[in-house]
Amino acid sequence: MADEAELAADQHVRYIVTVEKVTSAATPPFPPRVPSTPPSAFQRPLLSSAQKKDSFESLVMEHIRLNGAYWGLTTLDLLHKLHAVDAAEVVDWIMSCYHPESGGFGGNVGHDPHVLYTLSAVQVLCLFDRLYVLDVDKVADYVAGLQNKDGSFSGDIWGEVDTRFSYIALCTLSLLHRLHKIDVQKAVDFVVSCKNLDGGFGAMPGGESHAGQIFCCVGALAITGSLHHIDRDLLGWWLCERQCKDGGLNGRPEKLADVRFTLL
Amino acid sequence: MKLQQQESAAEQQQGGEEQLPEDLLHHFEQILHDDPLINEVGFLHPTQFYSLDCPQDGDSASQPPEFHHTRCFWCRDHKLAISAEILPKLYHAARDAYCNARDAPLSPTHLLRHTKALLILCPDLLTAWNSRKMVLSAEYDFTKLKDELQLCALILSYSPKNESTWSHRRWVIKQVAEQHQDMLELIGNESILVKEIAEKSKMNYRAWRHRCWLIPYMTRKQVLDELKESTRWSELHVADNCCFHYRRSLLLALLDNRLRNGEDSLSWESEICLLWKEELRWDEMLIRRYQGRESLWNHRRFLSHWWIQHLLTVEENWPSTRSQMDMFVIQEIQLLSECLHDPVDEFGESRVQAELSALYILWITKQVPAVKGKLEERLHSVSMRKLKDVLAGACRPEKRFWMNLLGLADQSK
Repeated sequence: MADEAELAADQHVRYIVTVEKVTSAATPPFPPRVPSTPPSAFQRPLLSSAQKKDSFESLVMEHIRLNGAYWGLTTLDLLHKLHAVDAAEVVDWIMSCYHPESGGFGGNVGHDPHVLYTLSAVQVLCLFDRLYVLDVDKVADYVAGLQNKDGSFSGDIWGEVDTRFSYIALCTLSLLHRLHKIDVQKAVDFVVSCKNLDGGFGAMPGGESHAGQIFCCVGALAITGSLHHIDRDLLGWWLCERQCKDGGLNGRPEKLADVRFTLL
Repeated sequence: MKLQQQESAAEQQQGGEEQLPEDLLHHFEQILHDDPLINEVGFLHPTQFYSLDCPQDGDSASQPPEFHHTRCFWCRDHKLAISAEILPKLYHAARDAYCNARDAPLSPTHLLRHTKALLILCPDLLTAWNSRKMVLSAEYDFTKLKDELQLCALILSYSPKNESTWSHRRWVIKQVAEQHQDMLELIGNESILVKEIAEKSKMNYRAWRHRCWLIPYMTRKQVLDELKESTRWSELHVADNCCFHYRRSLLLALLDNRLRNGEDSLSWESEICLLWKEELRWDEMLIRRYQGRESLWNHRRFLSHWWIQHLLTVEENWPSTRSQMDMFVIQEIQLLSECLHDPVDEFGESRVQAELSALYILWITKQVPAVKGKLEERLHSVSMRKLKDVLAGACRPEKRFWMNLLGLADQSK
């Protein structure tokens, strides 16, 4: 039985590593503006997978490659198979998504920086215990610089505000041990201002409660030691009401169950 | 053979596989340029493509200039179809052209042209949207910003949940707002757009989030108009929690002092109260008509919560008005009783209705403890039952489990 379980895990590892290499092996979509180190093995195209890497579906996901790397590698780590990939290769590729002038990471080589990808990059480096390759203060300053006067965070320099970005920023700074660079109280105040009458949280003040946004807001409050702001009974009630007749969980009232909300 | 047919035949012979990517891109961008009013885009399988109609022989002279028909593109009446078989090639071409234009500092026109093509194929490309923002930021141009809204509307027509597009739309509106332009029409049009998208894409969180985001830009009259005009739509979409949340946002906006326009507080309050009472009545009507709709009951939780607080305040200042609270309690328990005794139906909706009505009363007693006693007293006087018994009878087993877990139900059962 244990052998069968091991075999299933190995199969899954092979799947992830192959997918990662196939999808990440495409030539950099946007030639980086700043000359970077020569492409690493991770970037070299795999000729046999030309078909897969050129599919339209694969192409239109190239902007979230860095997120995909985090999800795949975390899965490997959970399966205790992180050694299946070459850490140096991965770190090289991650750093090729870095923008030294701003301190942020893009979703793929040559893509504009955004907190979404900056967090994934930091998380991947943590997985491999390689945070030392970063200019930690520069990255932290990039994230801290996105905090607005009301405590909210923008995703990037263009100003879109969302409680997801609050969570992402706090998570990133917490991993880098640089929370002191921001106004933590204001960040908390903003998240709390997104609390609704039903106990849930939305994307912005007055935004509809959504399980995904709630995950982010609760996460943000947890990181900052501010969980006392949550009405646990009320939020717990709202979350319990997400259980559908089939036993699954939805993200909002009247919606169908979706397994991602089971995770959240 | 007529000239039109000869050209079509030649193009058909060439086919998607043989055409150079740059030519495909050029053709695509030409179509977009020739018809700036394109309002629908579809990626069709080649077999579907062939079934699109061709021009008749005799019509070649009267063919509108914006009509295109090849193996790869079809465009007529502002509808554009692209053959799925050329998508990877077209995407590569658009992406390469974009990269070149991005690195050449003197070509904003080319940048806009290429990013438009690229974003229609892949609206998730934040970097491409950012390039457009860079160009538009250089100089304020209302016409260009309106074109931007047009592009966003086009993309949202086939990708209504696209985060980057909604975000870009908000950025455009902020640019206009910062120039102190008259926002009335713009905001009105935004609201209509969301309504149209919401019709095709139900419970679209991003679309409704956008509509709520517009509220701070609205005048008081607009907020009142929105409330009035969205009533009918909400009646036809009682399972769409988003539209009821939108109504709640509008009501909350009316409570905000920002919209008071210097009115004296008494007339302001009485207007709000009338609206609230009407909303409660309307919600009750819908609850009776459509059984087991969670959105309607959630809406009632919100409405009753504020209403009770309001009545408590009034009672405090004018104790003789206590009967209003009693009336409200009688009303809500009456509603509960009816829902508990609705005849059983084949879809199990009356069962769900009973459960939702019982949970509604429980929610109110928890959130407004001041009214708990009155509700329980009234319930007992009409049914000889306690609330916990009602809950035990009306709620599904799994609901009873978590109610116990949260300490909401009586542990002695």
